[in-house]
Formats: sequence, structure tokens, C-alpha cells
Amino acid sequence: MHEARICLSLLKLAETHLARAGGERILALRIEVGELCGVVPAALRSAFPICAAATRAAGAELRIERSPGRELLLRDMEIT
Amino acid sequence: MCGTCGCGSPGHSHAAAPPMGTEHGEARRLEVQEAILADNDRRAARLRRNLAERDIDAIGLVGGAGSGKTTLLEATLRALGAPDREAVVEGDCATRLDAERIRACGAQAVQVETGALCHLDAHLVEHALDELDLEPVRRLWIENVGNLVCPAPFPCGEGHRVALVSVAEGDDKPEKYPALFAGADLLVVTKMDLLPHVDFEIERCVRAARRVRPGLAFRVLSARTGAGLASWLDWVRGEGR
Repeated sequence: MHEARICLSLLKLAETHLARAGGERILALRIEVGELCGVVPAALRSAFPICAAATRAAGAELRIERSPGRELLLRDMEIT
Repeated sequence: MCGTCGCGSPGHSHAAAPPMGTEHGEARRLEVQEAILADNDRRAARLRRNLAERDIDAIGLVGGAGSGKTTLLEATLRALGAPDREAVVEGDCATRLDAERIRACGAQAVQVETGALCHLDAHLVEHALDELDLEPVRRLWIENVGNLVCPAPFPCGEGHRVALVSVAEGDDKPEKYPALFAGADLLVVTKMDLLPHVDFEIERCVRAARRVRPGLAFRVLSARTGAGLASWLDWVRGEGR
């Protein structure tokens, strides 16, 4: 179970891009989780709100798209 | 500050929230397209580069608990016969047992006790290397925590990664845990001396691993009897990589 660790990396990456864009809050994140990347979407979903609570992505929606390969990407975000 | 959403305006309602973003300024889409674990990927790449510059061949071992990683290492270190040129980073949730086994073979070893953490990552390995004298070392082994799932997305700086499956675990492991094998450079089937006692089809195991990693090379061996070890040692020395 390393999904919490992956959520923290995701949030760190997301907050870095938010700050660079001069944004305030993250409303939604769209990520790509490959079938072969070793990450379980359901576990990610349950870990995400807890990990996000103290960040600028608190309450944000996590949209997960599957792909066949090993990708684990933050595709884009909705921000204000 | 609003206690619910953390925004700057107090006293607004969340019960009937308007569409996303319209309340505190227009929502906009921000393109990112970046690996979530890019941080670890970058660290691992740097580590790989540093080790290569120091002429150190770094080999990662991954596989389930009890797949025979440490036993294979012991047999390998003894067979290669120059343990002062080898060093091992051992990952386990607890105890220093494996590092002690490696030191008994004459090689340097550092144990990383990960606690509840289920895998090594490049950061942990970087710190572990501070405890080794790498000067005489020409080969570094990174033995991950026994786990068929979690090490998969975390490269640790190894130049090559070897995935182990013991015949006692079953030939279906690459089907059930494809991610681990998708990232492997070699498949090693261990404990072949137990083959007469278990139902394990080497072909089925290899076929499944090759579905996620086309052309994956494999070796079948027993560290206990020494069968098949010579071909593995050739690979370790760099042949056919």
C-alpha cells in the first residue's frame, strides 16, 4: 500500500504547478493511471481526500483515466 | 477565512454551491502532463548516472517475500569470489538479518529498515549509500523489500532490475502482478530443486511475463544446489544484457 505516498507526490506536483500559474485553488485533477504502473485506482481514491485536506486541493475532484501502459501522469487540473 | 473550503471570504454557503470555480473567480484548465513520481524518477536517474560514472554496475532485485532474493545473493557473492568488490543495500520492514547474512559472505552491506513502508525508493537508497565505502566497489546490489506490488513504480537507481519468482510461489505470479514484471530486465525462476514437488510450468510463467515485457530474458536456477547458477553469473558479469 503506497497510494498515500503517491497522493502526496501528486499533490506536491499539483501545488507546484498551481503556484507557477499564479492560481489559488485546485478544483479538479485529471490523472492517467496505466494498468501496468502498479497503482490501484480505488486505493488512490480513498487516500486522496485525506491527503488533500490540508492542501490547496482540499475537496478537489480526482478524475482517473486508465491506459494500457506504465504511465502515472498528472494530465491537467482545473484551478481558480 | 472560510472554514469549509479555506478560501478568503467568510460566511458564504457550501450547501448550494454554484458550479466549480464561479464563486471565487473563473475556473481555468491548466495543462501539466507530468509524471506524478517525477521526483523519484529524477533522483533515480541521477543516482544511476553517478554510479555509472564511478564504474559501478547497479542491479536491483525485486520479488515476493521468500522468493529467494537474499539466498541468491549469498550464492552469487560466494561464486563470484571477490566480495570486496560487491556491496548490497538490503531493504526490509524490520531487522538487520539480511545485511548480516551478506556480511558473512564478506561483502559490505547496509540495511534499510523501512518500517511500514513497503518498498525502497531512490531517496532511501541515496542515503543508504552514504554508509558504504564505494571506492573498491564495482557492483552494487539493491535488494528491495519483499513485495510483488509496491516496488514497481519506484526505480531506485539500478541500471538493471531483476524480478524473482520461486517455483513454490506459483507460475501465475507474472499474470497476477504484471506491473513488477513490466519493469524487469531479467526474470529469474528460483528454487528449481523444488520443481518435482510443485505444479509450476516455467513456460507459463515466462509467457505471462513476456506479455507485459516482450522479449524478457530469463534464467532458471537453484541457489541451494547451484543448478543453473553459471548462466545467471554470466548475466551478472554483463553477458547478454
